[in-house]
Amino acid sequence: MKKPVIFDIGWNACINCGACIAVCPQPAGFVSDFDTIAVNTPCEIACMKCEDICPVSTISHLVVAAQENPHK
Amino acid sequence: MEFDIVIVGAGPAGSTVARKVAAAGFSVLIVDKRQELGSPIQCSGAVSRHALLENGVEPDTEFIHEPIYGFKIMNGLGGEKEIDYRKLKPNVYGTQEGANPLGYVVDRRRFDRYLLTQAERAGAKAWLKAEAIGYEQAGDDVIISIKHYNKIERVKTEIIIGADGLRSQVGKWAGIKTHIKLKELASCLQFVVDGVETNGLLELITGSQTAPGGYGWVFPKGNGYAEIGLGIIAPYTNVNAQVHLDRFIKNSFLSHRFKNARLLEVQGGGVPLASPLKKQFARNIILVGDAARHVNPITGGGIHTALSGGTVAAEFLIKHLPSGDDNSEKNLAEYQDNWLEAFGNQMWKLYDVKKKIFKEKDITIQDKKLFETMGNYFSPNSDYKKI
Ligand SMILES: Cc1cc2nc3c(=O)[nH]c(=O)nc-3n(C[C@H](O)[C@H](O)[C@H](O)COP(=O)(O)OP(=O)(O)OC[C@H]3O[C@@H](n4cnc5c(N)ncnc54)[C@H](O)[C@@H]3O)c2cc1C
Ligand code: SF4
Repeated sequence: MKKPVIFDIGWNACINCGACIAVCPQPAGFVSDFDTIAVNTPCEIACMKCEDICPVSTISHLVVAAQENPHK
Repeated sequence: MEFDIVIVGAGPAGSTVARKVAAAGFSVLIVDKRQELGSPIQCSGAVSRHALLENGVEPDTEFIHEPIYGFKIMNGLGGEKEIDYRKLKPNVYGTQEGANPLGYVVDRRRFDRYLLTQAERAGAKAWLKAEAIGYEQAGDDVIISIKHYNKIERVKTEIIIGADGLRSQVGKWAGIKTHIKLKELASCLQFVVDGVETNGLLELITGSQTAPGGYGWVFPKGNGYAEIGLGIIAPYTNVNAQVHLDRFIKNSFLSHRFKNARLLEVQGGGVPLASPLKKQFARNIILVGDAARHVNPITGGGIHTALSGGTVAAEFLIKHLPSGDDNSEKNLAEYQDNWLEAFGNQMWKLYDVKKKIFKEKDITIQDKKLFETMGNYFSPNSDYKKI
């Protein structure tokens, strides 16, 4: 089982291209106010496809400890 | 508030549906979350003249950056194929009296605004800074929630058109699987630059050396500007598009042409080099344009297919809305049948061509096949002119 992660986006490099959302297998709504994948909600799928597609590699993640995950 | 249809997204697909359905006398609301359409630019803006005219869009200086007369495909290993329609069909294409360009590089900010203007003039109501956030069933209709300047508006409608582009959420709301496989989404980056010469051709650079899984490009951009860009497929490389573009500019067979390039704009985006969605409709929902993956899987071009998909959707709606038929999935299926017949079946064929190229394990052969396919695609005898 993959551990849930929280994504962090370096906004300075983000070109707002939306590619991260397009490859994201999460259901509707896993988006930020800045048209990227969500940054304040843990992702249980943790496939990291968003990190792979980002043309400027500006997405990183932190593994969320179980107690920090509001969905658990 | 009630409209016959509500369109989510005022890109080429959404505004085409809006213009055509409003012109037929139906009430249309089109919403876009942006404050300036087409911005930030996520497109190189190349579109054929035929694509515009076929969908009722007059080429207009308001949105044209530069006319285009053909293509040059290069593989970085000495392979070059120039398809200049000024030479191939001099009576038809060129700058002389009676001749026309083959296509244009358009400014997406102005192009999208122009298309919305035409839709509004045809009678559509438009909201900007208006983000569609979900819908609920209301008998045979639906109520769509739209966040408009922080206020939630609830609008009743028969059909929602998801023209919300690559990151489509409308399809997801309806349970349609819309996300794209990593190996089928090109990660693209482009620079608009001054100081790079072009000559009315779209230059395409194939080869894994330049752009693994995708291709590079140099497009004329008007006023002496050019656009240098590329799209890569992430699993085929261990560095990002930015690194590949940097190498292409500084250290490639074309670097000598870029040595005086002065950076003006940075743009990017994702291009689905994928199949169209197998299902582009649901109860009360129709998807069109990038949202339905109406994108050419070989070239990544999606403006023509967005405009044409918009036309197919509009023609279907103009028949369906007054028919008295309910808005069940069964009754909306005809939209997709019409789309397949108009050009979807050809897109599926193109997808098979693309799949075969990238199934090839030997990279040299793969590169050779892509170079040949691109050359054939843009030739005057191409089977795929329509898309
Ligand atoms: C780098 C790059 C280069 C390209 N170059 C070319 C090219 O040269 N030629 C070509 O033919 N194609 C090109 N394309 C592809 C082309 O840009 C797209 O296929 C085309 O824009 C699709 O049009 P559309 O109307 O479907 O979607 P879009 O143009 O993406 O429009 C979707 C609209 O929906 C809005 N929206 C999204 N969600 C919501 C919501 N919830 N509520 C309200 N509004 C919403 C967005 O703000 C946007 O305005 C390129 C793409 C990229 C990334
Ligand atoms: S893929 Fe990267 S650059 Fe594009 S919107 Fe997401 S975080 Fe920003």
